[in-house]
Amino acid sequence: MTQATAHAIDRWGGGTCPFEAGWRKVMMWSFIITDGLLFAGFLASYGYARLLGGGWPDQSQVFSVPYIAAMTFVLISSSATMAAAVQAARDRQRPATIRYILLTAAGGAIFLGMQAFEWEHVIEAGMRLGQNPWGDAAFGAYFFLITGFHGTHVATGLIVLLSTALRSAKGASSPEGVEMAGLYWHFVDLVWVFIFTLFYLV
Amino acid sequence: MAEAHPLRTYATTWVALLALTIVMLSLESAALPRGLFVSLMVAAMLAKASIISAYFMHLRFERVSLVAMIVIGLLVTATVLYVLIVPDARRIHDMAVGQTMGARP
Repeated sequence: MTQATAHAIDRWGGGTCPFEAGWRKVMMWSFIITDGLLFAGFLASYGYARLLGGGWPDQSQVFSVPYIAAMTFVLISSSATMAAAVQAARDRQRPATIRYILLTAAGGAIFLGMQAFEWEHVIEAGMRLGQNPWGDAAFGAYFFLITGFHGTHVATGLIVLLSTALRSAKGASSPEGVEMAGLYWHFVDLVWVFIFTLFYLV
Repeated sequence: MAEAHPLRTYATTWVALLALTIVMLSLESAALPRGLFVSLMVAAMLAKASIISAYFMHLRFERVSLVAMIVIGLLVTATVLYVLIVPDARRIHDMAVGQTMGARP
């Protein structure tokens, strides 16, 4: 038996920690996989509705691409500050942790505000769930469904971030707790990468 | 090792993500053939997704078993989900088209 095989058996043959990660991390990743599949389902359904339907609108005529790019910039930057918050929590720098988490939450709030403004704009232009002035009737339904679900995730993330900041301020939050809030926040950013490309650009 | 200077790694990651976004936006304004445009966009999108999960979500520094569970699990299930929607989408579409045609005298 080689040393590598012995090592593998040592880990897997009744090993107690095959992922070498805490239960929080394994559970958070399991959640991210299932939640990711929710968006995969939405985007798959959107893809086929668009391929089979007639006259999908030209998105650049409905949305302002620079505006959507600005939203993307805000979300990516908030992901970067969240990564810095996780690092500060690992280094046990409490003020820096709270500062970076609040900065991240500010980014999330700006993103949500911009999205609310965008919704207001398209609703005023006549977009509804079942109709819109630009083309295929399903366009409005998919827009509200996909960006609505993503926006709800951002709003949930804001609550998680604010409670993590509060818990850190009281000294009740562990570095792992901040890391889990970070994983969720990066996931929200990850989903936006797909929505930004597949719904707004392509 | 990248973990020696984590903040620097995060800054580099941030710049890389912004650079890819700018590339995507400039492709949007360039008049490329549709097939090439979509392929490039999807490639850039997958590159961004990989960078976020590898560096921001630390997958690059996790044990291979955890990475395999996440990446293989998510990709395989998403592909199956996508493939299963095809026949159903076609069927519903054909039904809708049939109804419109049936309504005509």
